[in-house]
Amino acid sequence: MENEFSFAIGPVVVGASILTTWGIMAVITLIAWLSTRRLEMLPGSLQTMVEGIVVAIDEAVTAVAPEHGRRIMPFIATLWLFLIIANLVGLIPELHSPTRDLSVTSALAVLVFFSVHWFGIRTLGWKKYLHHYLTPSPILLPFHIISEFTRTLALAIRLFGNMMSLEMAAMLILLVAGFLAPIPILMLHIIEALVQAYIFGMLALIYLAGAMQSQQLNSQE
Amino acid sequence: MEFNISTFALEIINFLILIWILQRLFYKPLLDVIAKRKQFIDQSLADADTVRKQADEQRDLYENRLMLWEQEKQTALTALHQQLDAERRTQLDRLTADLEQEKQKAKVTLTRQQQEHQQQAEKQALQNGARFAAMLLQQSAGPELEARLITLLINHLVTLPEACKLCLQTLGGKKSVPVKVSSAYPLAPEQQQLLEQKLDSLIDSQVHFQYARDAGLIAGLSIDIGAWVLNANLKHELAGFAEITHDFE
Repeated sequence: MENEFSFAIGPVVVGASILTTWGIMAVITLIAWLSTRRLEMLPGSLQTMVEGIVVAIDEAVTAVAPEHGRRIMPFIATLWLFLIIANLVGLIPELHSPTRDLSVTSALAVLVFFSVHWFGIRTLGWKKYLHHYLTPSPILLPFHIISEFTRTLALAIRLFGNMMSLEMAAMLILLVAGFLAPIPILMLHIIEALVQAYIFGMLALIYLAGAMQSQQLNSQE
Repeated sequence: MEFNISTFALEIINFLILIWILQRLFYKPLLDVIAKRKQFIDQSLADADTVRKQADEQRDLYENRLMLWEQEKQTALTALHQQLDAERRTQLDRLTADLEQEKQKAKVTLTRQQQEHQQQAEKQALQNGARFAAMLLQQSAGPELEARLITLLINHLVTLPEACKLCLQTLGGKKSVPVKVSSAYPLAPEQQQLLEQKLDSLIDSQVHFQYARDAGLIAGLSIDIGAWVLNANLKHELAGFAEITHDFE
């Protein structure tokens, strides 16, 4: 992995993960542009497919956060779409999944961390949002704070560990067992990629929904 | 496994840019068109609901109108049946009256026909009786019957009404009166003498008697005295009997 392509623009080093991410972004943007350039009231097959994807994501988000679903839907949907493609990119020869890079998963986890506070404060306000760290008892404040950091760290490490171990296992089996043996491992790779993308996005959704609705839950209690 | 701060920072920037791109290029247009379609479908459903309500109202109105028409039809049918019953009763009464009148006419006609038949039968019976009597008298006639008829005539001459007697006495004031006596059988001299005496006593003028035979008289006499004819014969009697049948005609 040390032989991966990279270049530097001043102090900024652009590695393979960033280049792959740009490629994924370009593909997603191209598909989005192609599928939405001629939207009709009576949809065609491509429009029907992308509408189905967006509606499914929207319904999943709304099911968890009924009152604020539309506000956080773009963030969660982008997470799911990006992670699904990023996790599956590793199946293409000579390409590596960006999510096997701890810097990438950390960046996504940090984005989730800040998004939780951003949407929480925007929804509830500073005072109400920070107040939920003192409930049900101020004694629990340190645990709340530790929880915020550990769950972010867990998000990053979980995705990074699963995707990196998956690629390494596939590589080792390919080296040991020959050409045909890795096919079941590739099937497992697809399933694992989808499951990890779903888990990361769903956890992010739950954290966001928890932050935005924590005050309401406390009021109901 | 090593952490690269440049990759970390660039990934954050990339992801934020991707969110912005997808929000502008993908989510918003798709959600807008889905919302428009939903609005269109809701509007169509609302329009369909409105049309359905209007259709229900029209159906209720139509059913009410049908019910009213049915009631009107029943009322008209009832009135028509009443009129038909009244007309039927009137026609029946009229027919009964006509039949009664015709029955009376037929009865009168039958009675008249029966009377005519009875008259016809009586006439026929009289004619048969006259014919039978004529045949019987023609076969049984003879000088004896004639003698009895002469006797009967002489007796009747005695009992003539006074008006007749007066006419015979004053037969025109003539000096001699011819008297023609016709008989079916020759008269005996005694009979002639008795007849002349009786007539002479009735007539004031001189009387000349002439005697003749007329077999058509069957039996008896026919006496011509000027304008007077005294008949005492069967021919005359039978003719009188036959005249009765003419009275029926």
